[in-house]
Amino acid sequence: MEDVLNRIINLASQRFSVDYAEARIQRISKTYITLKERRIETAKEGFESGVAIRVLLNGAWGFASTCILTMENLKNALTEACRMAIAASRQIKTPVEIAETKAIKDKVSVKPQKNPAQIPIEEKIRDLSSIAKTILNYDSRICGCTIDYLDIVGTNYFMNSRGTYIEQDMLYVWSRVTATAGEASILTFSREEIGSTAGYEIFDINHPENIGKKTAERAINQLKAKSPRGGRYPVVLGPNVVGVFVHEAFGHLAEADLTLSGSVLMDKLGEKIASENVTIYDDGTIYGAFGSFKYDDEGVPSQRTLLVKGGVVVNLMHNLETAKKFNVEPTGNARAESFKYAPIIRMRNTFLEPRDYSFEELLEDVKFGYYLKSFRGGQANLDGTFQVGIQEAYEIIHGEIGALVRDVSISGNTLETLFKVDAVGKDFELSPGRCGKGQTAFVSDGGPHIRVREVIVGGSA
Amino acid sequence: MEAPEDKLINLAEFTVNLAIKVGADEAEAFIYNESSIAVNIERGQITRSFSIQDCGVGVRVVSNKALGFAYTNIIGDKTAVEKTIKQAVKIAQVSKPDEEWRGLPIKKPYTSAASPFDDEIARLSSNELVEMASVMLKAAEGRDPRVFPIEGEVRASCIFKAVANSNGICDFDRGTVIECGLATIASEKGEVSPVCFEFNLERSLSVNPEWVGSEAARLASSSLNAKKIETKNKNMKVIFAHEAIQQLFHYTLVNAVKADYAQRSQSVLKDKIGEHVASELITIYDDGLLDGGLRTWKFDGEGVPQQRTPIIERGVLQGFIYDSYTAHKEGKESTGNAFRASYIFTPSVEPTNFKIFSGRKHPEELIGEVDDGLFVYSLQGAHSSNPINGEFSVVATPAWRIKNGEISHAVRGVMLAGNVFEVIKNVSALADNERKIGSIVAPWILVENVRVVGG
Repeated sequence: MEDVLNRIINLASQRFSVDYAEARIQRISKTYITLKERRIETAKEGFESGVAIRVLLNGAWGFASTCILTMENLKNALTEACRMAIAASRQIKTPVEIAETKAIKDKVSVKPQKNPAQIPIEEKIRDLSSIAKTILNYDSRICGCTIDYLDIVGTNYFMNSRGTYIEQDMLYVWSRVTATAGEASILTFSREEIGSTAGYEIFDINHPENIGKKTAERAINQLKAKSPRGGRYPVVLGPNVVGVFVHEAFGHLAEADLTLSGSVLMDKLGEKIASENVTIYDDGTIYGAFGSFKYDDEGVPSQRTLLVKGGVVVNLMHNLETAKKFNVEPTGNARAESFKYAPIIRMRNTFLEPRDYSFEELLEDVKFGYYLKSFRGGQANLDGTFQVGIQEAYEIIHGEIGALVRDVSISGNTLETLFKVDAVGKDFELSPGRCGKGQTAFVSDGGPHIRVREVIVGGSA
Repeated sequence: MEAPEDKLINLAEFTVNLAIKVGADEAEAFIYNESSIAVNIERGQITRSFSIQDCGVGVRVVSNKALGFAYTNIIGDKTAVEKTIKQAVKIAQVSKPDEEWRGLPIKKPYTSAASPFDDEIARLSSNELVEMASVMLKAAEGRDPRVFPIEGEVRASCIFKAVANSNGICDFDRGTVIECGLATIASEKGEVSPVCFEFNLERSLSVNPEWVGSEAARLASSSLNAKKIETKNKNMKVIFAHEAIQQLFHYTLVNAVKADYAQRSQSVLKDKIGEHVASELITIYDDGLLDGGLRTWKFDGEGVPQQRTPIIERGVLQGFIYDSYTAHKEGKESTGNAFRASYIFTPSVEPTNFKIFSGRKHPEELIGEVDDGLFVYSLQGAHSSNPINGEFSVVATPAWRIKNGEISHAVRGVMLAGNVFEVIKNVSALADNERKIGSIVAPWILVENVRVVGG
């Protein structure tokens, strides 16, 4: 593979005089399984390969992707990428420039205890069936369950015109389990998700039966939950909700491309944007975490990036282009979903650092509020408005956990809300997720339990 | 971009024949070939351009009533294709039989001759796309100096599909799509508007980049000077614009009309055929043959002809949408709703063009009917709605207050909460401004009594 890439990169430099070129060949196998109740709806395996060629020429980017890897077609793709760059450069006002990087030669192998590629599909089906069985046998009010499973195993071959050549294995194991329950006219929905870059051993840590039980239990408990009151209330957020808040509400604003586009963090670097209890990292180096990798898709080493320190924004997440604009080092956040995409700035494992409160201490001072334990989804806007939908929530009454509430969501302004974080717990948990920004990236996020003095709770009661 | 009709059909037939030869009882091949070029705008200028080509084959086989599936995009290499076919058969052999499996679909005549395909789109060059992007950009910048175009794209795609199965289905279809989209932000005196997005997506070269640019800018500048809503909790009249409808319905109502959801007791519309489930003003068809529809194709992901299926007629539930499997379960015929986004995916029940019929009111007339309410352009967080019971709790942004029949000012920090199945009962008027957004086609809709949370 090194030979093939070498010829393409040399051609880019010699014939097309590009300022920068990179080529990324990917070879991967995927296994997908979907179970609905006891039925296997899908069991499939896929074999994909393709190349992504990206060039910087005349101050603009050109990109070409193809799945036919003959030398002739690779040359065509390179020519196409250059033609695309020339077209894009016709009206360029500020030519694109990129940060300097060192040449790296490396080969990164994954060493799973259980390699999903070597586990027969019937064994995977058996494990997933055991999740389904646990859910369906949990209670007669369970209406159904859907279990999705995905593993990806393969290799990325990356070369650029600065002498970097990296062969990097990739490995992902992911599963999402949902259950629904019904009683009278009420239908409830519950979801659990697991994900790992370590190996299939994730199912030894999260045993199929435990995942099933947790999902089913929530769906059943939700049947007796009541509707929340709308308004402004104090809340205690669980690690899973803190994660989605840190990712959606803050993280996207700190992706340097979005910061430059006018996110509320623009002009806030070095300033206090949160209470001093808030320290946030985006870390691509946590072993086995769903957002970890050694090199990003621009060949930059992944790292532990401190974003907010004691309430002050100290750094953003960068690719080569934004690093140059801010005159800083790239942080290894450039990721591409596959060879069909050019890398863009993405998060990795984003979390809020724990401090010293116990869960009971967080609840103590709340007269009436909500404990938001587990999220269903979240979204934010560059103007700093966020929304997080919750799948498991409780009332807090005089410092004690009270009744369950159903289908609640919270909203607010990110920076106002970060200033209202008045206590941070000492526990810690990361949850896997898939983030969409035109492309999908596997990430994780989390933190400890925290208390927020006030957010808007959207309720229908 | 030349039509490789014969090449794709030959590959589909080869795949089906080989699968049967190596032991499958039934076999199906689905081939998807997409070529697109795109030009991207980033922070006020055109900085990148893309060319993407992808083609692959998905193989579905049945062995002793058990299904197996495999796919590959390594189709230049016969051994890779053979390996994929054998893998599909192997998976079927180790998987669990499905007693309700009644076979792959059989050949039926198509109702439409061809899908929307525009040679002009297929022939577009990257320079022409740059020109369109530049028109869009200038229209936005020229409208208001407070507006900054942060991100945008012009993309032209050409799609070829072929499907074949061991029951005699064998056909080819092609289509084109062009998209112009621009996201903008406006800022003034420290206030930043929400990101406002406008776009134009068509099957023929009839997009208007100038309109997209100008509208994206207008949305952002009119979102400035936003005020909070004084009341904490109040029921109001709300006009949902096209995008807000799409967001609200996609994650809830659309699921509820899928046969697999109903059969698995995951739909609140289950067993409600013939009942009033929505306002009498609501008529919805799933129209797989809609002229210029974004999901208009000759056949679905299983080679079944697409068709027009009544879902709700004047508020009364008429039926659900089906693929072959879910249809067989009820002794019905597939409605041509086995959706496949590419060769990677197995068929799943999805709407084609989910069309909510327009009313007769001019959009201004609709606004004129509201004394005190909201106009909601887009929602934040609709994907976190409860996909089963339809409960939602979302942020309305960008959104405007309506007072005395006129748009008064932009609002911020406003949440809407409620249940989609109540929303469709509380529809009191529909505008005449139908628009295609994703799989949904809808006009603006006026809904009474929506819970608005401000404060």
